[in-house]
Amino acid sequence: MAQYIARRLLQAVLLLFVLSIVMFALVNLAPGGPLAGQGQTRRVRPERVAMLKRQFGLDKPLPTQYMIWLVGNDWMRVDLDGDGKPDEYGTRRGVLRGDFGFSFRTRKPVLEEISLRLSNTFYLTVVTLLVAVIIAVPVGILSALKQYSSFDIVATTFSFAGQAIPEFWLGLILILIFYAWLKNPFTGEPLLPSGGMYSLGGEFSIPDRIVHLVLPVTAGALGWIAWYSRFLRSSMLDVLHQEYLRTARAKGLKESRVIYKHGLRNALIPMVTMFALDLPYLITGAVFIETIFSWPGMGRLYYQSAMQRDYPVLMAILIISGALMILSNLAADILYGFLDPRIRYD
Amino acid sequence: MRKIHFPTVVLIALITLALAIGLSGCGGGPTPQISATQPPAKTQAPQVTEVIEPSAPPPEPTVAETAVETAAVSESNSITILIPEDPPSFNAVVGDTGYDALVMNLVMLGLTGVDPKGNVYPELAAELPTSENGGVVVDEEAGTMDVTWKLRQDVQWADGTPVTADDVVFTWEAIMNPDTGIWVRGSDYVDSAEKIDDYTMVFHYNTIYPGYLIQLGGEQLVVWPSHYCNADEGFTAWECARQPLSDGPFILNEWTVGDHMTFERNPNYFEAGKPAIDQVIVRTVPDESVRKQMMMQGDADLIMWATEPVVTDLKDKPGINISISPYARWVMRLFPNQAAKGTTDPDASPHPVFSDVRVRRAVRMAIDVDTIANEIFLGYGKPVWSEFYRPPYACDVPRPQYDPDGAKALLDEAGWKDTDGDGIRECHGCETAKEGDLMKVDFYTYAEYGEPLELTQQYIAENLKNIGIDSQLTIYEGSVMWADPESGGIEQNGDFDLDLWDDGYSGIDPTDYLWELYYSSAAEPGNGWNIVRWKNEEFDALLDEAYSLDEARRKEIFCRMAEILDEEVPVIMMFSTINADAYATRLQGIQSNINDVVSWNAADWKVTQ
Repeated sequence: MAQYIARRLLQAVLLLFVLSIVMFALVNLAPGGPLAGQGQTRRVRPERVAMLKRQFGLDKPLPTQYMIWLVGNDWMRVDLDGDGKPDEYGTRRGVLRGDFGFSFRTRKPVLEEISLRLSNTFYLTVVTLLVAVIIAVPVGILSALKQYSSFDIVATTFSFAGQAIPEFWLGLILILIFYAWLKNPFTGEPLLPSGGMYSLGGEFSIPDRIVHLVLPVTAGALGWIAWYSRFLRSSMLDVLHQEYLRTARAKGLKESRVIYKHGLRNALIPMVTMFALDLPYLITGAVFIETIFSWPGMGRLYYQSAMQRDYPVLMAILIISGALMILSNLAADILYGFLDPRIRYD
Repeated sequence: MRKIHFPTVVLIALITLALAIGLSGCGGGPTPQISATQPPAKTQAPQVTEVIEPSAPPPEPTVAETAVETAAVSESNSITILIPEDPPSFNAVVGDTGYDALVMNLVMLGLTGVDPKGNVYPELAAELPTSENGGVVVDEEAGTMDVTWKLRQDVQWADGTPVTADDVVFTWEAIMNPDTGIWVRGSDYVDSAEKIDDYTMVFHYNTIYPGYLIQLGGEQLVVWPSHYCNADEGFTAWECARQPLSDGPFILNEWTVGDHMTFERNPNYFEAGKPAIDQVIVRTVPDESVRKQMMMQGDADLIMWATEPVVTDLKDKPGINISISPYARWVMRLFPNQAAKGTTDPDASPHPVFSDVRVRRAVRMAIDVDTIANEIFLGYGKPVWSEFYRPPYACDVPRPQYDPDGAKALLDEAGWKDTDGDGIRECHGCETAKEGDLMKVDFYTYAEYGEPLELTQQYIAENLKNIGIDSQLTIYEGSVMWADPESGGIEQNGDFDLDLWDDGYSGIDPTDYLWELYYSSAAEPGNGWNIVRWKNEEFDALLDEAYSLDEARRKEIFCRMAEILDEEVPVIMMFSTINADAYATRLQGIQSNINDVVSWNAADWKVTQ
């Protein structure tokens, strides 16, 4: 087992390395550049473009830029004033030493930019996924046990709707209903806030936090509920028709024990993979939900960086979510070994 | 591992949840320092949530402190401004998003500002330097000038240090540092900035620069504190642009990145009795319809840059006013490329369609500007047909007629005729294309403006179809459209036939703007933005002469330019878009300003009720 994990980790490192090259090339070769269309400026003065290019290190050939991104430039002299002669040692330490560079937009270290958003996104997505799982699992089980019952039909209808309704539309409708139309009968204030993580100017309070979570979590969780409940339903249905359940019943086990101990446990195994693959979402966030509910998270940061070609931020988010994706895949495979004794890794 | 039961899983999940809330509770999320009764933190250095460490020592709490502490903020004297994206910093010239200018105006002062009508007024300057008061000394022979600025002596930073000429010179030198500075307007013309005494300093110019009044002022530039900002970090990246030391009407109290900023009244602001507002909250609300809803619910007092649809929806709502600036800055226009698509030299490879001036004139006649301005831009588009349409340089140029039949006749005359009856003209005796070539162009615009511009593009394509010009429509991201030549910029590389976007200048001096757009050497890729590759010797000579302080002569020059542009049609001007801000009626003193953003006069705002 340890050998297997070691081998997979080594593969993961190699994969990440290749991934970083591909990502770097794609991000940089995509049409457009970070020196145009920023903010109000349509036409950036060529003098300014030239200056920024040097400051951002974009004047160097792409392989050199990648090298600097990876291992930094504090060991070589760089030309800063544009006279063609190297002046002094660079200041970048490179991704391998934990320096993801600075954001073109704010000129602040990328990790600082990300850390300011990460906890906000994590907070929202963890709650969203938990709510989704807590609702989806019972719904999925019941739907499978009572296949074609009216509950199943209603659940199926809702889950198709849930998958089909775009988050941004649902979010706006929720705001319209619960913020603009419905009023709190006691205070006359809107029933729920239109967005943000907490009320400005108030003390920290759990109820206030929960009130601010209701709408974004609802809008965000619906799709997940639909997705997980459908998946669990079909995986449960698969299991229910297996021979070993008949054996369990034949042994005279109680029906609940048959379903939950022998059925559900097996039906949940494919869910583990699914869930593991969704884990990077905890970090990358949801751009529409964050935009509509004014949530200062990673999704918005990513979108903004992509639109403005903020390469360093973009690369950092891509690499971090790539690494997470690889790691959660590995975690899923390892968990499999524990959950399903039929699977052996040698 | 195999013994895990459901309750355990749920327990783990709940712990994770609690952790998540706790994590963001103590770290990234709430830092609820400000409430109605709580005094702000002891130090004047604002808190940027979480990781940002102060780079310079926090300023000593001084006189300011007691005053701030006693000023309890009542809700009725607090206003909320909504913006769609977080400002990158308080240094507006670096990001140029406009939202940085909004918050910069709240805390920082420049030497001067520009009002909605284009009049420059002094901020830190004691008076405006002119030739009459001896502030400007021109050396006619050498073609150089010196501008002497005298500063007010009653302005101080929030830590009690006076604002002096050292700060001005320090700021200028930080801007000019090639490693960490940035190009700003006029920076090519300034040889050096020199301190004379504590409240006097001189800019030495290597040319005559008519825009000198906003050299360190206007909507983008302010003076930074030399004792607080760290020059080693550099002008574009220094920490004091995230945690500014105020000399303006307000003081940054707290900034939760991506979410909101809060500002308190600066009790030591130099204008007595101002500002009248105790607290300003700037909230980032990315979605336009949510911003609109918040305004209607009374949760916000000001929406910066309200678009035409927002203005239409909000203008009749109770409790909401709209401030529309008297002149607009952005003019929608068409750029017909005079060099063949993909090339940049109009002499070696003239454009098959647009290098003939008759075709450009015909296109101008064919576009129904009024319908676009009224229908798509909801009546807020104002027809504009000259670069010189607003004071101080407004010239009397007759408006070109919307005349599709005249346009058709002009195209016939130019040798473009539709002989096969498919509705698209072909070259039959035209001077610029091969015989029989179709009159077909690629027509681009940019995505970020959104639906109104897409509809405008489609409508113009119909107008062109109507006179027999076929166009293929594409929409590009701005970062592709305006990228530098090496990054594949469409405009810089001349990779288009006809483009549609908005442009214009702010401030008082159009010379640099005109140079970039129309001067012949600005047509070289990577040298300027004469992307239609238009060349006119008379225009070049006039522009050279316009770098002068002789206002009467400048007006003559600009009006002669207006005539040339009207005749040659290098760019087809159509209409200006709205420059407006929506605000709650309880908020008074709002004046939308094309030369700055709405907070230009924040010190004068009041809240009634």
